[in-house]
Amino acid sequence: MTVPEPVAAAARSMADRALSWLHANRALGALPPGTTEELADPDSVYKPLGETTLAASLLLRDGVAGPGQLAAAQSLMDFTWDQFRQGDMLYERQLRHTLMTDPLEVYAPFVRCGYRHADLDRLLAHRARLRSVDGVELLPNRRLAAANAARVVGLDREPGGGPDWDALARATWLGARPEPWAINWITAYAMTHTVFHLTDWGRLPHGMPPDLTAYVRTWLPVWIDIWREVQQWDLVVELLIVGASLDEPYCRPEDWEAVAALQHEDGLVPRDGDPVDDDPRERFTDHQHTVVVTAVAGSVALARAAGR
Amino acid sequence: MTTRADFAAATDELANRVLGALRGAGGTALVARHIDSAPDTLAALAAVRVLGADTFSPHLLAGTPFHADDAAAVARSLDAFPTPAAGPSARPEERTVAWRDWATAQLLARFGENGAPPAAAEPPGAADDLADTTDWQGWSVRMAQLATLATPGLDGPVHETARRAALPLARGVTRSVLRRDFPTAVRLVRWLAWLGHEGVDLPLDPAPVHEHVRLLGGASPRTALDLAVTDHLLTARPPEAVRT
Repeated sequence: MTVPEPVAAAARSMADRALSWLHANRALGALPPGTTEELADPDSVYKPLGETTLAASLLLRDGVAGPGQLAAAQSLMDFTWDQFRQGDMLYERQLRHTLMTDPLEVYAPFVRCGYRHADLDRLLAHRARLRSVDGVELLPNRRLAAANAARVVGLDREPGGGPDWDALARATWLGARPEPWAINWITAYAMTHTVFHLTDWGRLPHGMPPDLTAYVRTWLPVWIDIWREVQQWDLVVELLIVGASLDEPYCRPEDWEAVAALQHEDGLVPRDGDPVDDDPRERFTDHQHTVVVTAVAGSVALARAAGR
Repeated sequence: MTTRADFAAATDELANRVLGALRGAGGTALVARHIDSAPDTLAALAAVRVLGADTFSPHLLAGTPFHADDAAAVARSLDAFPTPAAGPSARPEERTVAWRDWATAQLLARFGENGAPPAAAEPPGAADDLADTTDWQGWSVRMAQLATLATPGLDGPVHETARRAALPLARGVTRSVLRRDFPTAVRLVRWLAWLGHEGVDLPLDPAPVHEHVRLLGGASPRTALDLAVTDHLLTARPPEAVRT
């Protein structure tokens, strides 16, 4: 089974409109003037900028959007790269905080699209050789995030080779192939990220051990069903990305069409069933992440439909 | 006049009697006593109809004798209400009731002296509308309503469908637990346990989810009866060891 045509149609609409929204609203996601590498609240603006970068980088990587959308994605990358002072800010943050993984993770999508910062490359290569970095006690799905970022940046080609992906996968919640009825909301997010990083957002469908792929295929329909019922759209869209990233994609037209139908004309996708605020800044803060994952879902599904 | 609450109370009362017998607490002629001692005979007969095949479970699972008075009482309950239409135009709910009556009649024909009323003994058509599990959500809810059929010694088209549907049943269990619909979950776990008892490979281990829904499933006598049957299915010997 590949990606059915109605899913591809929904995916194109989702990706195009989501990208338009991210581009049109990009100024609302700008860092406050005078922001330095010392971030009091990294989750407020810095992390969303990284997420926007990720979405734009995947659209450019997959190359399945129309020419106008690809130009918008490139423009978004330029915008976020400027926000990070062409990488200087990421370099300063990584230099100041050796053990933090977020500068590496934010940098990785830029590298995917050819943006490089020579000093940061040298710093990351140095850092990658430190036992101290490897020994940091991250949650297993976070460790996978750092490992995938290192892979994208090319650090796994250093002497000593890459990580033991199977061991990293086994350490996660998903790796235990646990009772599917005992999942909860936050664990579902952890599960989606395990899949995202093992498959590098759909680029490596074989990146998951086959037994974990089979497990996800068995229970994903249930998880999509129950979180659709309670209108947890942000999580539902992440689950759609999971389905599109599997060795044999699981993409049910009804699920994709339901999300496409939720999307506003301007591209916004509500994060849940609550009313959407009218204030542009509130709208951006509340729903930016859902629009990002919608763009990613559309791009990954289109790429799989195109056989990439 | 018999109210909805009277029916519910009568069903709970009978479920408790069956449960007691299943646990070895005497209980000869429990169905006949249930009807004779009831303040409302109509409600008592309806309760027999609702529990259906489960009224035989002390006999099937615990080996207690099946009393001739009980056979007469079960036959009376089948006579007391019309068997619903089960043809191609019947609504799913009518077919569900018809299948439950069929199961009751099967056991009555086997253990009663005079057999079952012929109308209920006929299989309500092929289980065509149950064969398609594409809509596993709606399908599993219907299977939960048919949980009294998940009993050793019963076999028919619904069971054939279930044997081919371990995955939709397991998904139904998972969905109902996550939706906190524990009565449905309990009944679907019963089907899973039945499949395991039949030797079917299961995509989900029934034992932990059975214990989980036991702890969360509430204390209604009907749920307790489903749980008790599941206990037997999970711990029982292979099917040939069950006396029929």
